[in-house]
Amino acid sequence: MTAVGTALAAGQPAAGNGTRPWYAAPLALQLAAGVVLLGAWEIGVRMLAPAYVARPSRVVVVFLRVLSDAQFLAAAAATLRAVLEGLLLSIMLGTVIGLAMGRVVAVERGLRYYVNSLFATPMVAILPLMSLWFGYDGDARLATVVFAALFSVVVNTCDGARAVPNDYLEVAHSFRARGWRTLLDVVLPASLPYLLAGVRLAAGRALVAAVVAEFFVSIPGLGYYILFNSRTFKHSEAFVAVIVLVAVGVGFDALINWITRRYLPWARRGG
Amino acid sequence: MKPRHGRAESLTIAASLALGALAWEVAGHSTSGAFWAPLSATLKNLWDITREGVLLRQCASSFQLYVSGLMLAIAVGAPLGVLLARVAWLRTALDPYIMMLYATPMVALVPFILSIMGFGFAPKVLVVFLFAVFPVIYNTVEGARSVRPELIEVAHAFRSREWQLWRDVMIPYTLPFTMTGIRQAIARGLVGMIVAEFFLSPSGLGQMIMMGSQNFDTAGMLSAILVIVVVGVGLMDLGRLLENRFAVWRGETR
Repeated sequence: MTAVGTALAAGQPAAGNGTRPWYAAPLALQLAAGVVLLGAWEIGVRMLAPAYVARPSRVVVVFLRVLSDAQFLAAAAATLRAVLEGLLLSIMLGTVIGLAMGRVVAVERGLRYYVNSLFATPMVAILPLMSLWFGYDGDARLATVVFAALFSVVVNTCDGARAVPNDYLEVAHSFRARGWRTLLDVVLPASLPYLLAGVRLAAGRALVAAVVAEFFVSIPGLGYYILFNSRTFKHSEAFVAVIVLVAVGVGFDALINWITRRYLPWARRGG
Repeated sequence: MKPRHGRAESLTIAASLALGALAWEVAGHSTSGAFWAPLSATLKNLWDITREGVLLRQCASSFQLYVSGLMLAIAVGAPLGVLLARVAWLRTALDPYIMMLYATPMVALVPFILSIMGFGFAPKVLVVFLFAVFPVIYNTVEGARSVRPELIEVAHAFRSREWQLWRDVMIPYTLPFTMTGIRQAIARGLVGMIVAEFFLSPSGLGQMIMMGSQNFDTAGMLSAILVIVVVGVGLMDLGRLLENRFAVWRGETR
């Protein structure tokens, strides 16, 4: 079996390569690397670290038990729900603010410094303030998620709304499209690729924000699950929650990529 | 892209900043002191801690942590990235794992680090390092894909030695991408710094925020947050500057 076609995974033309032996196929290499990495982790922990430290063999043993544990599922659901709600709120608010900033000069001038500086601020810093305002419960987590996610949506949507080609607007104008029709039918679709790039960035930030908020205000969720179990030296159990978090992050990334390819064919890579 | 600075523009911006400052001040006077402090009180607090030297000391402590972690991340990430650029099979093998680690929310690992390494300077540097290192590796490897194989073939045809190949092809080609990674690392490292100062042993600016919130000293907390906002904006500009400085080196393969 030759693997000429799959060599494209490395981004290089396979032309000069001729045939490859089976063991040089990308998938074989990647699986081998996985085995080596996990093996190094296992051996390293066994030799150097205390017994409670997470290692692959223990994680595998507890994996299914943790995943079917009702308490764990409730924690995962709580975190994911906060992240999704926060993201939805951020997308709605952020699109409106971003479009307004991108198309109305006065709004852009008025908000520029606020949006840029809040975009650059690590949201972790305002956690104590959020817990003061919203109390030590889920609201503080939701607020932190929104704060973390909102500004990357705003900044990207604003860039997108500004990058709408003038030709589009002129055509809309010569067909006597009203202002809001132009906004909905021309500006919004044209800035959607940017918006999605912003959402992708926002999703990563939202996940981090939710976990940190749970550390800080101690409310049930994946972050708190990790904190609690690592304090009681159940590192392998806690590590299952990390795996779930990574899966959520990677899965969301893949989802956004798929949506962009499938539904936004006019989006060229960039932005 | 950058709009010119007309008079109307400066006026609008000045008005919006003045309005913001006014809102901050009014909000401080009309709510309970534990919720929000007036701008005047915050600035006075900022002046006090500057004069007493507290601010400088805490900033220095934060800076030491941040720079140690960031430099370590760059020192490890960039060479590793370029190595992966050169050794194609190793890159193919490690690609999915680097992408996965890049997407991993590193905060989730903080409780493990606390539990295994305890309090001290080293675990905090490790946190900043973990936050910052994967953007550097990921983007450098991404850049490695832009090195056209023809270039390496030409270099080989002209009998370039290995180190000449690195100096003239590999490093110049991947550096702009590494800079993008460093820009991301600068921002992520700052988050890592505050996380470390919150959840490991308290120190620096993070400790100032924490103490302000625990003592209901809202003005103290807000002045520390204000400092972090200014530092964040400054670092983001620095990152952009670095990235743009090397952006012209980018090949036209993309």
